[in-house]
Amino acid sequence: MSKSKILATFAALGLLALPTTTHAVAETHLTVAVKADRYSVKPDKFTFTTRRPAAQIAETAVKPDANFNPSPLLFKAWDYEDGTYKVTLQEGVTFSDGTPFNADSAIASLKLYDQNKSDFLQLDQSSFKKLDDYQISFRSEVESALVIENMTHRGASLFLPTDAMAEYPVGTGPYVLESYEPKKQITVTRNPNYWGQAPKIDKITFLFIGDDNARLLALQNGEVDVIGEVTPQMMLSMPQDGSVVLNESRPIRYAALMFNMLGKAPFDITTDISVRQALALAIDRETLAQVLYGGRGQAAKTILPGWMFDLGDDHANGFAYDPSKAGKMLDEAGWVIGEDGIREKDGRKLKLRMVAAYPNVSTVKPMPEMLEQMFAAIGVGTEIVEVTDSGVYNDTYFGPGQADMYLEFASNNNTDPTYLLYNVFTTMSPWGYAVTSPGGNVDELAKASRVASSREEAIDLVRQAYKSIVDEHTSSIPILLVPNFTLSRPGVSVPISEYADWIGYGDVSFDN
Amino acid sequence: MLKFLLTRLAMTLPTLLGMSFVAFAIVALAPGDPVQMELRAMGIVPKPEDIAAIKAEYGLDKPFFIRYAHWLVRALQFDFGTSVATGRSVIAEIGLYLPATLMLSLTSLVGAIGISLALGTLAVMADRYTANCVRAVSIVLVSIPSFWLALLLIHVFVLNLGWSRLVGNGSAIDLILPALTLSIGAGAAMGRFVYERVRAEACEDYVRLAIAKGVSPLGILLGHVGPRIIGSMTTVWSNTLGGLLGGAVIVESIFGWPGLGQLILQAIGQRDFPIIQGYLVLMGLVFFVTSFLADIVLVTADPQLRRGLADE
Repeated sequence: MSKSKILATFAALGLLALPTTTHAVAETHLTVAVKADRYSVKPDKFTFTTRRPAAQIAETAVKPDANFNPSPLLFKAWDYEDGTYKVTLQEGVTFSDGTPFNADSAIASLKLYDQNKSDFLQLDQSSFKKLDDYQISFRSEVESALVIENMTHRGASLFLPTDAMAEYPVGTGPYVLESYEPKKQITVTRNPNYWGQAPKIDKITFLFIGDDNARLLALQNGEVDVIGEVTPQMMLSMPQDGSVVLNESRPIRYAALMFNMLGKAPFDITTDISVRQALALAIDRETLAQVLYGGRGQAAKTILPGWMFDLGDDHANGFAYDPSKAGKMLDEAGWVIGEDGIREKDGRKLKLRMVAAYPNVSTVKPMPEMLEQMFAAIGVGTEIVEVTDSGVYNDTYFGPGQADMYLEFASNNNTDPTYLLYNVFTTMSPWGYAVTSPGGNVDELAKASRVASSREEAIDLVRQAYKSIVDEHTSSIPILLVPNFTLSRPGVSVPISEYADWIGYGDVSFDN
Repeated sequence: MLKFLLTRLAMTLPTLLGMSFVAFAIVALAPGDPVQMELRAMGIVPKPEDIAAIKAEYGLDKPFFIRYAHWLVRALQFDFGTSVATGRSVIAEIGLYLPATLMLSLTSLVGAIGISLALGTLAVMADRYTANCVRAVSIVLVSIPSFWLALLLIHVFVLNLGWSRLVGNGSAIDLILPALTLSIGAGAAMGRFVYERVRAEACEDYVRLAIAKGVSPLGILLGHVGPRIIGSMTTVWSNTLGGLLGGAVIVESIFGWPGLGQLILQAIGQRDFPIIQGYLVLMGLVFFVTSFLADIVLVTADPQLRRGLADE
């Protein structure tokens, strides 16, 4: 056979082979189980797509970077000077209905979400100015230098104001709404005209499954690909046969014991700082991390992880596990071991009430029981109260200060470094945390941080405040830092974020 | 008959009024500030004026009895207000869930009736040993907690056999396991009632007469005993239906069935008080309607009662 015939034969075979080697690409469809449908359709409380499932439809002005500092998204650049924010908008962006994202539509969107009683933005509605087609300026109502930080919250997603907003929200995000069945599911599909990096997944369905066990079983059975909201109980009951894969972030959420600082009898024993510090020394954090989270938790010295806002790992000294030192401190404070092993002073037993509730008991269980044993080892008796209902917790135990200690589990879940400090650790707290706040210099530092002239200054004040809370006042004892978790079926890789609202479901990949 | 119905209706009015008051009071007096909880759910740090505005919006700034009176007037017009959490009207919100719960409850009732008749008649007609076994099985089935049975069924039929799926879309096939879970317990409970009633009727003269005439046991059961017990069974069925409508919360939650159970669990967690009040009133109405219908059936099925009412 001549060379040309051979080449022709191979060419022909190659052409014949083409249809067989070119496969139709299947649509990628991800199913995510989330807990509850929390969307409000009221125009003045519009939250339709501000939470995780449909946050893919609308984007925020800025996004959090790896250390929870704001980085550009719809806002390309910004500047803060003399109380005025000057912002340059991203060009070439359109809403999914084709409306261009420019100074006019950006101002309209910003005005829309600020009417949502959302005071964390504290935008001065009358201050918006269009500087040119892609530049705007605005002011904070309270001269805050942290408005941009708060815009990383998914609740601040920018929607195009339309009459049908509640039924069909329009944003600039990588997905558009395909269908929404209240209480059942939301399906979003790829926005073909998305301005940014196209996501990997074509379609995402978020199923609302309220029961933790049902979400886990559905994952095991292959009916969902990912579970977005994972409790420690689900992790404890997670099958170990490889049918479920645990994805974890860096530790971010804290478990802490907060003391009643009001000092009203009979819950006044912990007003003595020696008692608080002794209890802090009695906690074996490594064991707790191992038992409760299989080593995934981290013994905590500080309320927030050091990487967050670049706070640094040494922004508080914290407490080591030293039960003998704890015992000595209690001895020196006049608490002596009684016949039943519980310490006494002036005929009063060193018995403390510990309430475990927030955000729910199952999140921290069996931590209360383990702490009870650790405290018993230094002669402190503990009455555990477990409350599953946040209304009962706030009205019966927390608000009126009807306990010595409160076991709480939370995080600074946005990029405003002052948010958690101000709302949870000060006597000005709108959530009623005056009960567990030291007041004094912590209040002053928190106030100053909110009106600091720069982010760096704010962070430095926050750093000082947390150090004071832990080391100086010991009004709160850090116990553990815990990651955020998602569960997925084998073969599904989830790009997890410490900021739970920012888990990139669109960039989930199927290994097989 | 008409007089009976009107009297029966009139007698329920105070009950319904009391029930509405209890529903309102339970929610109003429960711990947990709905305004604070709503603001927290929205991630909003409240200013005093925000709290005052929302309290005024929901009428929470008024005294308890004024609020109750306003609520009652609106409730009589089937306006139960707006969900704090979602912004939809309470009626719309209940309308989203009610069909699924109705479907589940009615299917479960049919299943429970079938199970109860099978267990009850088997226990009557079988020999002593078998009857004792059937009764023992009934007691076991009544005693099994529904959440445990649900998990067992999921383990067997969903995870092991793969015959069903857990996350349904509300279609008929997804109904089987939750309905079976509810049917088994309710059916076993009703089966004991069937057994007792049939046994009681078996001692009556008309049954002896039928035996003397040579009618087969099955013929006696279906042709003679059945019609006599149908009235009392209807009362049991109606109460069971009411119980299934209001009591399927756990089963709905485990199977992710989009029924009223999911609604009320979420509403309680969020202190969505208009929803809770609307739900409680709805459940009261359900029990009222089902027992009312049972009374009508009872009267219609029992010739003696019918004649008695006609003579009045």
